[in-house]
Amino acid sequence: MSLLSITRYSTMSLALLLTIPFASADISQARWLKLNQAAVNEHILPGYQTLADKSKHLAADSASLCKAPSQTTLKQTQASFIETLNAWQGIQHVQFGPIELLMRNYTIQFWPDKKNLTSKQLNVILSAQDPAALQPEFFKTASIAVKGLPAIERIIFADNALKQIETTPYRCQFLHAVSEYLVLQTQNTTDEWQTYKQAFSTESSEEGIYETAQEASIDIMKAQVEQLEVIRDLKILRPLGNEGKAKARRLESWRSQNALQNIQMNIQSLHHLYSGINTYNLFQLLKEEGATDLAEGIEQQFITIESALTKLPTPLSQHIKEPAVRQQLLLISQELEQLHTSLDQSMPALGLLLGFNSRDGD
Amino acid sequence: MMEISRRQFSLLLGCTLLSPSLLATSKTNLFASAIKTEAGGYELLVIDQAGQTTLRHRLPARAHHIATHPHEPVLAAVGRRPETFIDVVDYRSKALIKRITSAAGQHFYGHAIYSPDGRWLISTENEIATGRGLIVIRDTADNYRVIKQFSSGGIGPHELKMMADEKTLVVANGGILTHPDKGREKLNLESMRPSLAYIDLHTGTLLEQAFMPDKHHQLSIRHFDVNQAGTAVIGLQYQGSKTDDVPLVAFHRQGQPLSLVRAPSVTNQAMKHYCGSARFDKSGSIAAISSPRGNLVTFWQADTQQFIASTLSRDGCGLAHTDHPEEFLISTGRGYCYRYNCQTQRKEKIKLSVPAHIAWDNHMSLLIS
Repeated sequence: MSLLSITRYSTMSLALLLTIPFASADISQARWLKLNQAAVNEHILPGYQTLADKSKHLAADSASLCKAPSQTTLKQTQASFIETLNAWQGIQHVQFGPIELLMRNYTIQFWPDKKNLTSKQLNVILSAQDPAALQPEFFKTASIAVKGLPAIERIIFADNALKQIETTPYRCQFLHAVSEYLVLQTQNTTDEWQTYKQAFSTESSEEGIYETAQEASIDIMKAQVEQLEVIRDLKILRPLGNEGKAKARRLESWRSQNALQNIQMNIQSLHHLYSGINTYNLFQLLKEEGATDLAEGIEQQFITIESALTKLPTPLSQHIKEPAVRQQLLLISQELEQLHTSLDQSMPALGLLLGFNSRDGD
Repeated sequence: MMEISRRQFSLLLGCTLLSPSLLATSKTNLFASAIKTEAGGYELLVIDQAGQTTLRHRLPARAHHIATHPHEPVLAAVGRRPETFIDVVDYRSKALIKRITSAAGQHFYGHAIYSPDGRWLISTENEIATGRGLIVIRDTADNYRVIKQFSSGGIGPHELKMMADEKTLVVANGGILTHPDKGREKLNLESMRPSLAYIDLHTGTLLEQAFMPDKHHQLSIRHFDVNQAGTAVIGLQYQGSKTDDVPLVAFHRQGQPLSLVRAPSVTNQAMKHYCGSARFDKSGSIAAISSPRGNLVTFWQADTQQFIASTLSRDGCGLAHTDHPEEFLISTGRGYCYRYNCQTQRKEKIKLSVPAHIAWDNHMSLLIS
């Protein structure tokens, strides 16, 4: 019943939005540039810096764990893993630039792992105990499934993780090797952005990555919109499956019981990108263009989703089969859809097309 | 506006007769392409060499490829999957000559070609009930009546070309099963089996079929071109896992298996598992492959099948060769159009006078030859 009314509501609001008479958008490259600079300096760069910093803590803590395995050092490593994971969730939506190079995005987190490749390949490595697999050289050619957060998670959140590490020190050594590789990936991404950010610092460029500041803005907008699809489709609807067929193990980070917090970090970061950046943001731009209702509507939708997420029980993996939780998750997925629609509506208001052949080709 | 373009057209006829060298400066038509407008509508546009819009024809829905008549100013804008229309338009008189509707239970896949003599319009279609791919032949001399249809040799037939012998059709069977009731959902990714089929136009006989090898069966064959020497270049679309490292370009010659090739690893990965269009240059020695998801176009040597170069092109998809060897036109979903020269590796934006905020659709068709 409630689902139905929400669908009706979305359709209604969509119809209303379509009839808003926007002035033909004529936004100067200088304003796009201002938007890009704010997003890069106050959202993207800090996001990657945090990820690199947290990865370093994780590598240091896993070294301590290997040196002196105990409940304390394990807990500390688990805690810094969660912090690293949260930092990743806060910047996961940025799928352009240095993170794309060498498949770093998939290297940091190979997910969803439909064939459970991480477990299969990790087990092979852990039982072979080859010292060569602990060397940085190994990771250059190793499977993408064993080089990032999911491999680390499997080792430190395994049942009897401490006991296994105590009896097989190699497990911890490999954990440490993966975490060092993660440091390398995240630090390189951060460093390369120091050069890549130049692409966001001009109004126009003949030979650059983007011809105009507006082109660069489109990549930032895509990051905003496409992550909503990932959350809805992969993080919520796929684990929910069909009625009565919810699968907890399809949740992202179910082993570390962080599935819900992942989504919260995603939304929080997207919300920040939308209206939280101090200097300039999309929310301000939309209002300047006279799309105040749309701008405020999107802001409200973010708040609604954030509030709905806080009402879910945690860990999600233990509650996902409960009918009430299912209902709540379905509502959230509808709200994500609605937010997506509103953001889509804001693009023509700004004279933007996110991608035609790239997003809907044949 | 209409007056001017008519005058321009007369000028074009004069120029062609007098001196081909004047062609470059006269306002002859350059290319045709389907677009999406800012308001969300769909149109067929014709652009002349000065970048002016000489035709705006409103389409009932989204089109894909524009078939060009070999010797009349006639274009056929083909509805993309699962649309059921082809608009046949005279771009000189700007009249809609015929709106073709596919037979009940069938739909188009966005591609059609005219036979070299201009008599037949040949399209790829889906027999919805069975999912069987069809080649359908219509008679341009008889109000585009269907005179024959036969199997395309696979599921999901897409682009088609005519070999230089003017009787052998080449058809890309993408391999992906869809059903209009399920929108554009892909229904058979586990069992898909793409192929390039060579078919006798007159008898419908399947002469030869090159299948994608089993280990690469999720590489869909949809867009390709054939050069004067009979070599096909194919831009592939991968349906498997995002992290798989697979070749994205293939070459084929009759009597041989498909030859799968890849760009250097960083470029191959940047192509994002998706090629949108494939075209040879005027000489047939260089092929261009667009990868709109990766915002780039790659260039390949036909005889050695080697990767030569790539150029950035945001949402760039439509490709056409120009009058000059090793030179291509690129159109983009951002509404831009470029000329790229492989020898100089230089890209220049073509000044266009087109409606604001349009998106060029998947393919562009050259109107000079």
